[in-house]
Parts: sequence; structure tokens; C-alpha cells
Amino acid sequence: MAEADVITKNRKFKELGFYDNQENNVYFLLPMRFARLNQEKEVLVNEVGDHLVVREGTFQKIVQRELNKEDDPDLFGDLVANHFISESRIPPLIDVLATRYRTKKAFLNNFTMLHIFVMSLRCEHTCHYCQVSRVTQDKDKFDMSRDHIDKGIDMMLQSPSPHVTMEFQGGEALLAFDNIKYAVERVHLLAGLRNKSVTFVICTNLALVNEEILLYCKEHEILISSSLDGPAFIHNSNRTRPGRNSYELAIKGIELSKRILGPSRVSALMTTTNLSLDYPIEIVEEYYKQGFRNMFLRPISPYGFAVRNERKNKYETDRFLEFYKKALGRILEYNLAGEFFTEDYATIILRKMLTPFPVGYVDLNSPTGCITNVIAFNYDGSIFASDESRMLAEMKDFTFQLGHLDTHSYEEVFYSKRALEIVSTGINESLPGCSDCAFQPYCGADPIQNHATQGDMYGYRPTSSFCQKNMEIIRYLIELMDKDKAIAKIFESWVKSRS
Amino acid sequence: MEKKNLIRNGEIVVYVDASLFSRDVVIKSLYWYGDKFHTQVSAEMNAYVVVLKPMANAAIKEEDLGYYLQKFERDIVDFSLREVVNKETTNIRELLVAKAFSNGEFDEAPPGNVSDAVGFDPMSIPINDAR
Repeated sequence: MAEADVITKNRKFKELGFYDNQENNVYFLLPMRFARLNQEKEVLVNEVGDHLVVREGTFQKIVQRELNKEDDPDLFGDLVANHFISESRIPPLIDVLATRYRTKKAFLNNFTMLHIFVMSLRCEHTCHYCQVSRVTQDKDKFDMSRDHIDKGIDMMLQSPSPHVTMEFQGGEALLAFDNIKYAVERVHLLAGLRNKSVTFVICTNLALVNEEILLYCKEHEILISSSLDGPAFIHNSNRTRPGRNSYELAIKGIELSKRILGPSRVSALMTTTNLSLDYPIEIVEEYYKQGFRNMFLRPISPYGFAVRNERKNKYETDRFLEFYKKALGRILEYNLAGEFFTEDYATIILRKMLTPFPVGYVDLNSPTGCITNVIAFNYDGSIFASDESRMLAEMKDFTFQLGHLDTHSYEEVFYSKRALEIVSTGINESLPGCSDCAFQPYCGADPIQNHATQGDMYGYRPTSSFCQKNMEIIRYLIELMDKDKAIAKIFESWVKSRS
Repeated sequence: MEKKNLIRNGEIVVYVDASLFSRDVVIKSLYWYGDKFHTQVSAEMNAYVVVLKPMANAAIKEEDLGYYLQKFERDIVDFSLREVVNKETTNIRELLVAKAFSNGEFDEAPPGNVSDAVGFDPMSIPINDAR
């Protein structure tokens, strides 16, 4: 073959003109959405979640074909490179874009991973916001039976996912520690036969934890997910128990757990209450003091007793957002001073914004994470679409009960008409208010919360606290990154994978 | 005759030119006012007439109505721009999603010939020599 032919075929170092495909200043729009960030700026978001902060009025200019490559080559180049516009009717990189879209939705590939086993409703705490717990000695009535544990494990191991998580919940799960041991050992026996790897998590307030339990957890690689609501005066006020020593027991338990299991195998979640909202800085500093370098600023879930106890638990989303921003600000101060300290909710959203990877977080998935990502086996063998739906059932609302371990097969639970109905209402690409929202790729859909708070699964965005909260947090994160490059760098460091 | 948007008896009245804005744009804009206003829309000659009446519990003051009128006027323009994007990109979005979830049946060979990034062309190797 002639040398000249070889040269024309290689693809390196083309002149810029080679890539200039625009003829007569024509360009084609690609799917994108826009939102106003503030008075000066707006944000464009494309179909795979890439975003571009631009001057106010830019979206209008783009759509009305007022953009010109000669006049504004940087903006034009950014828009082409980030798949907002294309110089040809079908963009040359459409297959790349399609692959990225598929990757973003890859959390669906393996179907349900998280399996919640409510081992007991019994608890020695009487937290005012708790949706489900009972203070009782009646094991027979409020503990999951071994027959149901067996059936739940069988169902879990039928998941298409090669990796599943078995999460032991309560009440206080450690009150049924014998049953946890039974379940873990049964899974060890059966998981290999189904080629499954299983992660175990015990959710516990740690009041009952001891060395023996933790040595068992170490031996079986069980993770501990505990609770810490802030300094003692907040934690003890939120989590009432005889002796008012919940905080002291939690701290002692966290320290012991970290010592035996290692810090990376112990996490803590906070529950936000009306009281917490006045103390964002103190709560962040408590987490820092206890050696945590991440925390999850969660709003209280609007379920169960929490809905009924309005005086104590109903707070305005605006107040939560104010709390969130102050707490995030304190976390960022630690980072600016050289510490690595992350906020989990922001990290989930930032991962969706700044990385091409799928993010499987139940509350921010579309299609919804309930059923497709999580399933809950209640203490009595009933099966629910999520942890929250079993809490609704405690209020006698069984909308999200999908069946029972005694009577329903895997197929009857996961492919039922009810399951299909729930999941089809949880696709924000096609929900009113969401379909045109710029933040859609970063957000999710929550038919269960819509049902609980608004009375129907589709929900009504203008009065939805889910929508109000997520829209503002997402807008705020983008604004922070745009205003302060140091914060943008910190956020980038939060989403980098760490081994 | 051109009718002007106005605030009357504590209500916002907006005339939307039906030759410039679609029904969908009006409804999509109106959707976001349902938390604070009773919303009403009717069709007149070449116009949609939108009436926004503050809800009793929305705590909207008379002097705030000007802000909401201006916001609604901006919103219909915003949703109109979004409608242009949606219309122009329907096909490409469908193609994108179809490709994303296909099993390869929509894939096309990448344009150009196979070559090496440093200039070596594997196609130049005679088959006999390559063995």
C-alpha cells in the first residue's frame, strides 16, 4: 500500500479546520433543560447530566439561533463539546452519548440489591419521632420468626444481582441478635450455591452492643450503621430511654465498634428534628469531634408517628434548607482548613453532576429505587416496597405491601401489577413538573413519599417538600461551585473514588 | 385589540396571545402557581385568559401581585423556549434512548478506517506477512 494512503488514514493531529463542520452558522439543538441559578446566571443541563453555568439569557440566545461561532467561540465550543448543540443533524458522537446515558442508568442492571430484614420491632428507646418501635418483651409477636428469616433469605438470593446487601433493622435489631447470627450463618451456607456475595449491615442505636457482639461482627464482616443526632443535649432529647443516657451509650458503642471493627466499618446517621434545626454548627462539630469525616444531613422522614406528632416533628422545609446550608458551610470550613470531611447527600448529588457513573441511592433514583433497588421484609413476614412503606403500614396504610413471605413467590412480588404501578409512577422523566426540570438527572422520584404526604403516588410538585428540598440543594451546590473555585475543587475531591 | 395584563380586585389577569404561545406552554407555566393561587384559564378570540387568585392561606400581599404577574410573564417565555427544544430534539432523544438500551441493533460502525494513533496502519500489512 502506498505511503500516502497510510497518512490519510491515520487519525492523529488533525488541523482545527478538520473539526469545523458548521456551515452558514447553522447548528442543531440537542436535548437540554435550563434553570435560573440567580439574577445573573442560568444553568444548562443536558440529557446525560453534564451542566454548564452561563450568563442569564444564554438559553434564549441558543434556542433563537442567535449564537455565533465567530462572536463567541468559547461558549460555542463548550456547547458543542458538552453535547448541548451539534453542528450536524445527528451528532457524530451520538453513540458515546448513548453509552453515557446507559451508564447513568446502570443502577438498574442488577435489579434489587438492598434487602431489609426487620428482625424485631422491640426497642428499649422511646424516641418521639420513631415510626415503628414497641417497648415490649413479647418476642413471639414482634420478632421475625426463623421460618420467615429462611423464606426472606430464599427470596433475597433469587435477586438477579450477583451482590446483595442484607440489612438488619428494627426496632432495635440487636434485641434479636441470636436471630441475626442464625440468618448470617444460613446465608453463608446458601450464598455460595447461588454465586452471590452478601454484605451484612446491622442498624443499631448501639445501646446494647458489647465486645462479644462486635467480635462476631468482625468475624463475619458485618458493618455497623449507628445513630448520632449531635451533642448530648440533642441526641438525648431526640432519643429517649430510661436513664436519659442514649448519647453516652452511643458514643461508647461507636468507640468500641471502631476499635474492634475499624473506623471504616462503622457509620452513623443523624435524624433531624425541630430541635436539631437550631444547632447545625454544633451537630457538625460533634461528628468531627467523634472522629467521623463524613456525615449525612438528613431531613426527618414524613412517615409513621412522625406524621402524627406534628407539633414536635413538622417543620418547614425552608427551615431545613437553612439548617442544611449552615451545616454544609461548617463542613466546607473544615475542608478549606485542610481536612477531608464530606456531606453524604451533597456527595450523592455531586457524583451525579460531576462523574459519568451511575449512583444508586434509593431516594434519588429514577425509576424510583423502591422495589428496583430495595425491598423490606417486615417482622411478621409481610413484604414492602421500601423501609418507609412498612412504616406507613404501621399507620394502617398497606398501599405498598407487595405480598407475604408465606404466600407469594419472587415473581409474584417483584413483577406484580402493584409493583409495576408503583415503579411507573416513579419515573421523573415523565412526571408533571419534573419532565422540564433542569435538575431532573440529579433528582429522583419518590411515589411513597408523594402518597404519604400528598395522597397520590404521582405527587404535585408545587407543594412537594421533596421537590422544594432537592431543587434548592441542587441549585445551591451549583451556585457554590460557580462562585468559589476552591469549593468546586473540594466538591471534586468528594466524588473521586477512594480505595 | 391588544389587551393588557393587569391586577384587578386582588387578582392577576393575563392575556396570552394564542398565535405566539401554545396551550401546553400556558398550562405548564400555570402548574407552578397552584400552591399559592386558584388558577383559571379560558380561551377567548386568539388569546388564553389566565386568572390567578391568591389562596386565603397563601399569605400573599396585594403589593406582591406585581411580582407574580412579572414572574408569570417570564415563565411563559421560558416554557415556550423549552417547548422549542423539546420539539426540535424529540427524534434525537428517542434515538439516544433507543441506542442506550438496545443490544447493539442500532449501533453503527464508527466513521473512518481502522488506524493506529501513532500513524501505523494495520490494514497495510499483507495478510501473508502477518502470519
